[in-house]
Amino acid sequence: MKARLMIAVALTLTAVAVAAAQSGTRWVDRTKADVRAGKASFHEVVDTVLKGEQVQILKSEERWLSVRTPRGKTGWLFEQALSATAVTPGRSDFLKMVPGGDASTSATAASTGAKGVYAEQYARDKGYDFDVVRWIESHQPTARDAETFAKSGAGR
Amino acid sequence: MSARALAALTLVVLLAAGCESTGQGASHVLGAIGAATGLPGFSSAATMAQTDVRGAFVDMDEPEEVELGRAIAAAVGARYPVLRDPALTRYVALVGNTVAAVSDRPDLRYYFAVLDSPDINALAAPGGFVFVTTGALAAMKDEAALAGVLGHEVGHIALRHHGETIKAQKRKTLFRAVGQEALSYAPGVGAFSGLIGLTADAIAEQVILKGHSRAEEMESDRVGFQYAARAGYDPAGLREFLATLASRDDTGARKFFSTHPGTDERLQEQAKLRKEWTGGGRREAARFIAAMGR
Repeated sequence: MKARLMIAVALTLTAVAVAAAQSGTRWVDRTKADVRAGKASFHEVVDTVLKGEQVQILKSEERWLSVRTPRGKTGWLFEQALSATAVTPGRSDFLKMVPGGDASTSATAASTGAKGVYAEQYARDKGYDFDVVRWIESHQPTARDAETFAKSGAGR
Repeated sequence: MSARALAALTLVVLLAAGCESTGQGASHVLGAIGAATGLPGFSSAATMAQTDVRGAFVDMDEPEEVELGRAIAAAVGARYPVLRDPALTRYVALVGNTVAAVSDRPDLRYYFAVLDSPDINALAAPGGFVFVTTGALAAMKDEAALAGVLGHEVGHIALRHHGETIKAQKRKTLFRAVGQEALSYAPGVGAFSGLIGLTADAIAEQVILKGHSRAEEMESDRVGFQYAARAGYDPAGLREFLATLASRDDTGARKFFSTHPGTDERLQEQAKLRKEWTGGGRREAARFIAAMGR
């Protein structure tokens, strides 16, 4: 009985220590990072964070961190997008040239990202049919389908 | 000399003199020059030029890479017709996303498409665009092979194998453009038709015609093997696909190997990895055959 109690206490302390190590804040170390609804890139973007912004860590699973953004949104970020030490804010040189790309941090902007008229203009200049790219982008599986397939399909 | 060309030339000189490797501090010098000379539009030209020059020396960030990838996807679509089969595209994308999710770059959004061509080929463009031809699908026996091939292509993207070509092309274009005063400053979409647009031409040529180096192919093979295994597939799929092609002597196989060098070495390496692998993995032959409509 005493041994069981000691094991339970040890497990509890370990869990608390792990939670403490995982919690806290980190800084965004990329010019732009999408915060997603799940732990894969096919999930919906719920917010976008910019270089130097601070996010609150809620939990960690595999290589992804559940975070709360400065705008109060919660979602998942890939661990490599974050730094444990403060990062100087900085904007993407490219996004400075994208209409709305520099100023906006909304989920709407995140879903389009830098996707603007640049590649389309290039295709037009070269005589390429850009509708092909739109077709590809609009015929990818839904997040639910992709997640179900990834979990059940190959037996992970 | 145009304001943008002057700004670009100034940055190149500063970088060549070792002023700052990234060119960030050089913007202060440019600002001072703009104020001193009173050249109209110099500040905005300097911003544009700084973007061009920095891109010739450092990795591009993800938003720019994605937009470059979209341009290259349009170029691929012009070379090969994209098969507008929603069910087959969805299936390939499901397998591709399963593999990409366990890659070294799982946070990049990936897009998968099927090219309607008897050529046996698979292509990866920067920014997450992956293509596989109907000819390549016809040479596969099961989903494990598809996972291996897509894992290899995801590897090129995850390992940023296009990065050095992008930087080299930007440097080449930049120096030529400065010499010819060809850097025309135009706000908005004009920016993309400058260095990035010219870079897109070079990367499209690499993706479609030239392929990657032998070392990059080997590296993508190794991570492709790992990604397929992590996703739960039998990682022998890629080796079997390559072996099938190696046993053939037709136009399709020859075209594939013209852009994917070092077959014998690659097969040996894959055989070695498979021998060391004890994890097993699924083949999903029935599901693959059903998806292919065979």
